[in-house]
Amino acid sequence: MPAEEFYVRYYSGHQGRYGHEFIEFEFHADGRCRYANNSNYRNDSLIKKEMTVSPLMIKELKRIIDESEIMKEDDQKWPKKNVVGKQELEIRFGNEHVSFETAKIGSLVDVQGSEDPEGLRVFYYLVQDLKCLVFSLITLHWKIKPI
Amino acid sequence: MSDKYAIDLSVKPGDDLQDEEMSDVQEITIKRKGRGFQSGDQRGDGVHGSSFEKLNSNDDNATGKAVKSVEGWIVLITGVHEEATEEDIQDKFGEFGEIQNIHLNLDRRTGFVKGYALIEYEKFSEAEAAIQAMNGEKLLDQTLTCDFAFVKPNDDRGRKGFTTRSRGGYNSRRSGRSSSPGRR
Repeated sequence: MPAEEFYVRYYSGHQGRYGHEFIEFEFHADGRCRYANNSNYRNDSLIKKEMTVSPLMIKELKRIIDESEIMKEDDQKWPKKNVVGKQELEIRFGNEHVSFETAKIGSLVDVQGSEDPEGLRVFYYLVQDLKCLVFSLITLHWKIKPI
Repeated sequence: MSDKYAIDLSVKPGDDLQDEEMSDVQEITIKRKGRGFQSGDQRGDGVHGSSFEKLNSNDDNATGKAVKSVEGWIVLITGVHEEATEEDIQDKFGEFGEIQNIHLNLDRRTGFVKGYALIEYEKFSEAEAAIQAMNGEKLLDQTLTCDFAFVKPNDDRGRKGFTTRSRGGYNSRRSGRSSSPGRR
């Protein structure tokens, strides 16, 4: 029986004085995890790391996404990307595929003031939980500070 | 009168009919949602790019599928109770070797433990012993699952992945993929 279709990708970035600055990471169902971070500020360079996580890690990632109920949300009423930048969250989970795009969110104040605070809050917290997980994986595996 | 019936008939069972048609042509319907599918942005510098740095997994069969991180071996623990503490983890897992690092991440909304922990041992034997002994054990009434966090890549996928899926990931504009077998 083939593995359930699963893929996660998150991007946050902007074009500015220091060029294209962003962080992006992705997980594939088979465990391949890639992380890219580009900050040109003070001549920081592009970090590109790849690692393979175990099936248990993918299972935990699925649990986190499933429990967030992000797949029920829709980005139609979320703030549109702007000069400050944008965020993208793409998730393929079984037969559902979402690719959300919104502005950068500074804090919960932005969430509360939006047209869809409930949905945006789900996105806001899930993104933080995912980043937290990825930063732990990067820190422990590579002994670098990802940001 | 007859018009009304006609409308009722065409609307209500219509949804069911559509579903049957879908399964007849043996296609799984993928529900797509989000503005990202409309956005035409293409980038080659992110995760879809190339030349990613990897840690060399030495072909040491003694360590099985596990891959060593820069300074040690990382064990993933799931099923961690939301009220568990670093001390609880230390108490349970410290007996297999000195724990070099613990990441017990919190749920950003609730502030409670998210449900997983990542711990680092210096030696493979310590990590393996911890996994063997603690997988299936209970902590605060919840069953733990333990395994290595990092494993060797699947070589088949590694090579094929770059040619068949040139930009990586699920691109909404990707085409030419044969339809998956149906559910029935």
